[in-house]
Amino acid sequence: MSALGGKAAGGEGINPTGSVVGIVILLVSIAATYALGFSIVPLIGIIIGGALIGFGVHFVPVGGAPAAMGQAPGIATGVAMLAAGAGLAGLFGGAWAYEATGDFAVAVAGGAVGGGLMMAITCLMVNATYVFAMGIPAASGKIAKDPITGDTFPEYKSQGTEGHGLPFISFFGGVVGGFIAGLGGTLIYIELLDVYHTGLPAIMQANPEAIEPLAVSLAGIFAIGFFLVNAVLAAYNITGTIEGPHDPKFKRVPRAIIGCAVASAFCGLISMLIVLNTGM
Amino acid sequence: MEEIVLGIGITALAGAFATVAGAAEDTESDIGSQGDPNSQVQLAPQMGYIHRIFNKAISGEPPAYGAWCAIGAGVAWALMQINYNPALAIILGSVIAVFVQGIYCTSGYLGRIASLAKFQQPVYIDIIKSLLSVTMAHAFVAIFCTVAMCYLMASALHHPFALPLLGLVWGIALGAAGSATGNPFYGKERQYQNQKYGAGVPISASGNIVRYAEAGQRSSLDNGWFTTKFAGPASGICFGLIVFLELWRTVLFEKMMGGWGAIIMGVVLILVFTFIDRWVEVWGRKTYGPYTTEEASS
Amino acid sequence: MTAKMEASAGAISENTLMIYGIVVALVGTYLTYLNVVTGMAVFSFFGGIGAIAAIWWGSDTIKHLCSYGLGTGVPSAGMVAFGAGAIAMIAGTKFGIASPIVTLILAAIIGAVIGYIANNVINMNIPVMIFSLMKLSIVGALTMLGFAAMCTGTFMFNGLVIGGMTLSMEPAGEAAAGGAQTFMVTVLPEFAGSLIGGSALAVIFFLGAMALQHPFNACLGPNESQDRTLMLAIEVGFLSMFVVAVISYAFLDMMAATVGLIISLIGWIYTYKQYIALSKRDAYAWLDAKPIIEVGGHE
Repeated sequence: MSALGGKAAGGEGINPTGSVVGIVILLVSIAATYALGFSIVPLIGIIIGGALIGFGVHFVPVGGAPAAMGQAPGIATGVAMLAAGAGLAGLFGGAWAYEATGDFAVAVAGGAVGGGLMMAITCLMVNATYVFAMGIPAASGKIAKDPITGDTFPEYKSQGTEGHGLPFISFFGGVVGGFIAGLGGTLIYIELLDVYHTGLPAIMQANPEAIEPLAVSLAGIFAIGFFLVNAVLAAYNITGTIEGPHDPKFKRVPRAIIGCAVASAFCGLISMLIVLNTGM
Repeated sequence: MEEIVLGIGITALAGAFATVAGAAEDTESDIGSQGDPNSQVQLAPQMGYIHRIFNKAISGEPPAYGAWCAIGAGVAWALMQINYNPALAIILGSVIAVFVQGIYCTSGYLGRIASLAKFQQPVYIDIIKSLLSVTMAHAFVAIFCTVAMCYLMASALHHPFALPLLGLVWGIALGAAGSATGNPFYGKERQYQNQKYGAGVPISASGNIVRYAEAGQRSSLDNGWFTTKFAGPASGICFGLIVFLELWRTVLFEKMMGGWGAIIMGVVLILVFTFIDRWVEVWGRKTYGPYTTEEASS
Repeated sequence: MTAKMEASAGAISENTLMIYGIVVALVGTYLTYLNVVTGMAVFSFFGGIGAIAAIWWGSDTIKHLCSYGLGTGVPSAGMVAFGAGAIAMIAGTKFGIASPIVTLILAAIIGAVIGYIANNVINMNIPVMIFSLMKLSIVGALTMLGFAAMCTGTFMFNGLVIGGMTLSMEPAGEAAAGGAQTFMVTVLPEFAGSLIGGSALAVIFFLGAMALQHPFNACLGPNESQDRTLMLAIEVGFLSMFVVAVISYAFLDMMAATVGLIISLIGWIYTYKQYIALSKRDAYAWLDAKPIIEVGGHE
């Protein structure tokens, strides 16, 4: 919903002081985790997962309100929630794979493929709507030639619009974005699940099989929380709409990766406080 | 073997539920005009085009449906904890979720239209009276099917997530799939029916939505009929495929190659859909052709 | 083209709302401690009242933040508030009787960090961003804590994760002559039926996230007035309280849950009628089955 007045007043490029302070926060979080007696490997995994979510969101082609009228290319939904939908569908598959096989690599790959599959089907149906129901072929407004297929766009772009539909590079971006976001979300979930698997039985004095549903639910709720925070930060970076990896806005990715990594580091530290033995 | 056969049966049933849910979700969001196309309904009075369309300003569809399905699944879960029959629990959960959705619909409409008083857009109470029950009915179908599908996943397919969490996850995915597929159809084909077919809406035409229908003034109720012509079933197919294929590749191939079977199947499916999309894109370009210069446009 | 939006000034100042919001939310959550003192669960509904106060305050904060043009819209502010607030709330419940205060402090810190990242790393450069995200995270955490306390009757970690007790029986030794066997019976907590173990907290999470962003999103427009937005915030809060009351039937006894249900229904009916009255006051015209009034020559 972009019914807001006033242009976003952000600056372009990386802000050096801000990024340095951010990295300091990240290192402090890692140090604090180590000082509290936890292994830092899960936190590193959470940081990487958060950064991947932020990175993946930038690939997803989102056109916002203009796309719903055929005025801009991309999917006509909000960027944060579309990425969250794909990532959560991936998380669903990855959590299931982890439960069934217990294998880290299989679970993370399963989450990634789940997210990518959801985006592939969604992007296909979007193109089907544009081509078969609306009679509009896909065209990008930001580039003249598709980098993958070589299709040219200017002669297919309707007059008075900025492009429409999902050109192949946007489709590709959507699938890759869902893949990476699902990967990141499942990574966060599995790291948190491992921390709770080992930590919760110790502080609650219960055996691991009984504590299993609690660990899964905690890790799941936290994974959704992490997802929302990282996806919204990435959405703020994109300022609403992006055509895909070929869009000039894609160059803003580095600061989103730093931002999401720092946010995930700090939130990861807080989420480990749950298995801290405070004696209460 | 028997477990796989049962799993496939449940997968098919879940896929069917998902298809119905997707169709109902998109129809409901078009009758109520939710999400990105709604920005045009919001813009129209400011450009001087007064209308009688339901301006349901809730949020996008993914968070809204995530909330309704989470409420439905949560209440169903709570009732099952006190030993209610699962079917009754899911129905009661969906009823409460639809009640909440209905209230959000009315407050969204009243709020937005009252805040447009400067542009002389009146509040038409009969729109609420005639549309609310229709919107709630479609939402009930969508929420019930999604919660039932999640219940099947939790209890019959033994997914580790609890029912409320599954409801939230699939509610957001439902909203995302239905919104992506159905929004352009409603936004361009219905709201801007007066623009040329086969082209996007030029920016200069923003706000000039269709307010007078085939006979009389357009009411959002007609959007339901229109949506079920294409966007509703398309959204249903989209969400149904997502759920079905996600479950199918796991149930059938999880045990193969230590879990990698399902991954490879997933990658194969992504490639299949990529080829289909490329074919659709090329077909569109070839069949419709590029824009030509104006020679003798009739 | 986007709709033009001006944030209304409003009769109640930001700081007044903040003070009232925090005080009522904390007091409401602490009043559920009366459950422990008296041994009855009837006082759980105070948690819901506290949560409504937090939503009431938060809807005004979102208004001030979103008037700066974020580019993404109002719902994402609610999502980030609750994403950060959920993390703070679950971590904060581990601190016994001090949980609400610790939750508030944790949420403020997380909000400040995320606000700093948004402003200085993502380069949004919005003056009120850090303070607004701090306040929104506090709102998210306190809302979830209040509703969790209303649902289960307690705001402490153990109460939120233990859903009941099961008995486990193991043979304690060799069967004695004559076939008599002694058993050792242990009482074990079971977790799958609890608020967090059964993921019902996810419902409260998203219920609150929608409730927080809805008042400002629904009343968006040039004639937005603060009293109408705040009234909608309280109405949506009571509606969420109603859903939480229905879910609380799984955790509290019949009387306590019914008390919560009746209070939330009465509160909701009253505030909903007030909201409709305020909308009628603000609307340009309140018509029933009348045709479109054409204002300009835009045919």
